[in-house]
Amino acid sequence: MVPSPTTSRSRPLSPNVQIYRPQLTSVLSILNRITGILLSASAVALVVWLVAAAGGPRTYAPVQAAISSWMGRIVLFGATFAFFLHLCGGIRHLVWDTVHGFELRSIYISGWVVVAASVVLTFAAWIASASMGG
Amino acid sequence: MDPQNMQDMRSPLARAIGLGSAREGVGSWWAQRVSAVALAPLTLWFVASIIANSGSDYATFIVWLRTPLTAVLMILLLIALFYHAALGLQVVIEDYVHSTTKFAAVIAVRLGCSALVTAGVVAVLRITFSG
Amino acid sequence: MIINSSDQVPRATLFKRFPIPRNFGVTPESRIGRGKTWPVSGDATRVKTFVIYRYDPDSSENPRLDTFEVDLDDCGPMVLDALIWIKDKVDSTLTFRRSCREGICGSCAMNIDGTNWLACTRFISDLATTATIYPLANLRIIKDLVSDLAHLFAQYAAIEPWLKSRTAEPERERLQSAEERSKVDGYYECILCFCCTSGCPSHWWNGDRFFGPAVLLQAWRWLTDSRDEAKEERLDILEDPFRLYRCHTILNCTRTCPKGLNPGKAIAEIKKKMIERQS
Repeated sequence: MVPSPTTSRSRPLSPNVQIYRPQLTSVLSILNRITGILLSASAVALVVWLVAAAGGPRTYAPVQAAISSWMGRIVLFGATFAFFLHLCGGIRHLVWDTVHGFELRSIYISGWVVVAASVVLTFAAWIASASMGG
Repeated sequence: MDPQNMQDMRSPLARAIGLGSAREGVGSWWAQRVSAVALAPLTLWFVASIIANSGSDYATFIVWLRTPLTAVLMILLLIALFYHAALGLQVVIEDYVHSTTKFAAVIAVRLGCSALVTAGVVAVLRITFSG
Repeated sequence: MIINSSDQVPRATLFKRFPIPRNFGVTPESRIGRGKTWPVSGDATRVKTFVIYRYDPDSSENPRLDTFEVDLDDCGPMVLDALIWIKDKVDSTLTFRRSCREGICGSCAMNIDGTNWLACTRFISDLATTATIYPLANLRIIKDLVSDLAHLFAQYAAIEPWLKSRTAEPERERLQSAEERSKVDGYYECILCFCCTSGCPSHWWNGDRFFGPAVLLQAWRWLTDSRDEAKEERLDILEDPFRLYRCHTILNCTRTCPKGLNPGKAIAEIKKKMIERQS
C-alpha cells in the first residue's frame, strides 16, 4: 500500500505492459524466454526418450509411436522451431556480451536475421529429415 | 503483523538501497554463457544426428547411441543442457515470483535438473555398457 | 522494419499493444475507466484526436481516458504544443510537467502512442490517427501525466553519482587526455528523463530492486571516467543479481531514448568489467 502524502488513498500505477508498444526488441526478448522454457520441457522429454531407449525395444515402442504420430510430429516441429529461435537468439546475446552490435541499426538487422534464420533452419532440418526417410 | 497493512515509511533512498548489494552475481552470469557456448555445437550435433538417423529402426539407433563418441557427446550435452536450463529457469522464477514461494520453486528446479541429468547419464551408460 | 535511430517512428504496426485485456493484472485503484470527450468547435479544418490519461487525486474516482480534439491550425507542431493548447483552450485542469520545450530538461517525458518520448520533441504529424498519451509506464501517478519519480531518483543516489578520489586534490585540474574524455561521450548527455527505465519490462517486474537503464548508464558514466578513483567500490555496489543482473538485454531502453543514448550498451560494458575483474 503506497499512500500519497495528503490522503490515505493509494496513488494509481500507470499502465505498463497493457499499453506499451510491442517492438522488435521486447518481442524477440520474450520469445527467447518462452522458447527457453519450452526447450526446458523438451530437455525433460529428451531424458524420457533416453531412459525409454535404455529399457529395451519394448519400453521404447510407445515412445517411438508417440514421436511418429501426427501429434508428435507437430510437437517436434514446434520444438525444432523453438530450438533454432533460441539458438540464434542466444548467439545474438553472446555477441552482445562482447559489447558489439549495440547500434540500433545493428540491433534491428540482427533481430530480423534471427527470425529469418530460424525459419530457414527449421524447414531445412525437416526437409533433410524427410529426405533421409524419417 | 499483516505485511499488507504495514505502511512502508522508509525514505526513498532506504527503499532503493534495500539490503545492499549482494556483491555476487557474475558467477552465474558467466556459467550461463560458458554453458551456452558449449551447447551451441552440442545441440547442433544432436539435431544433425537425429536427422541423419531419421527412419532408422530401434536396433540401428541403439548401435549409433552405443558408439563411444556418441555416448561422450550425449553425456556432455545432458550436463550442459541441464546446467543452462537450471540457471535460466532460476532467473525466470526470480523475475516473476516475489513471495517466499520463490525459494521453494528455485530449489525444486535445481534439484529436478540434477535428478534429470543423473537419470539421463545413467540411461546413456546403460545403453553403452549393456551387452 | 529497420530502425536506424531512436527518433524514427515505425511505419508499420502489427500490434499496438500486447494482446491482453486493457486492465490486465491491474490493482483496483489503477483500473482505467471511460472519460469525457471534449470536441473542438465547428470551423476547425485540421483536427486531431488525442486520448489522454487523466487522474484527479482530489476526487474519489479512478483514472480515466479523456478524448480531446485539437485544432492543428491553432497549435504548434509538437505534442507538447498540443497539450499546452488543450490546457489553454479546453481543460485547464490538464496537468503535466514541462520546462525547456527543447528536449534538454527531461520534464515532459511521457508515453506517446505506446512508446516513451519527450512531448516537446515528438511531432504531431508522426502520431497515429488517434494519438494516445499516457504517463511514463509503471510509475505511481500524482496527477494526470505527472508521475512520482522519487524511487528512480533514489536509485540514482544509491550509485553515488559524483567524482570520488583517493589521491590528494591537484593544484589545478584533474588531468584527462582527449581520448580518456571521449570515453564519457554518449553517457554524460543523459538528461534523467527516465524514458528508458520506465520502458524496461524488467524494471516493471523488479523495479524495487533492479536499478534500471538510466541509473546503470550513469553508473557506467562514472566507471568509465578516468578521473574517478572508486572503481572497485562502484563495481561492488552494482554486482548484485537484482541491481545489475535483472538486465536481460531486452533493449527497449536503447530503442526509446529521446537523446539517442545507448543504455543497453552501457550495461553490457559494466557486465564486461565485472567479468574482467574476475578473470
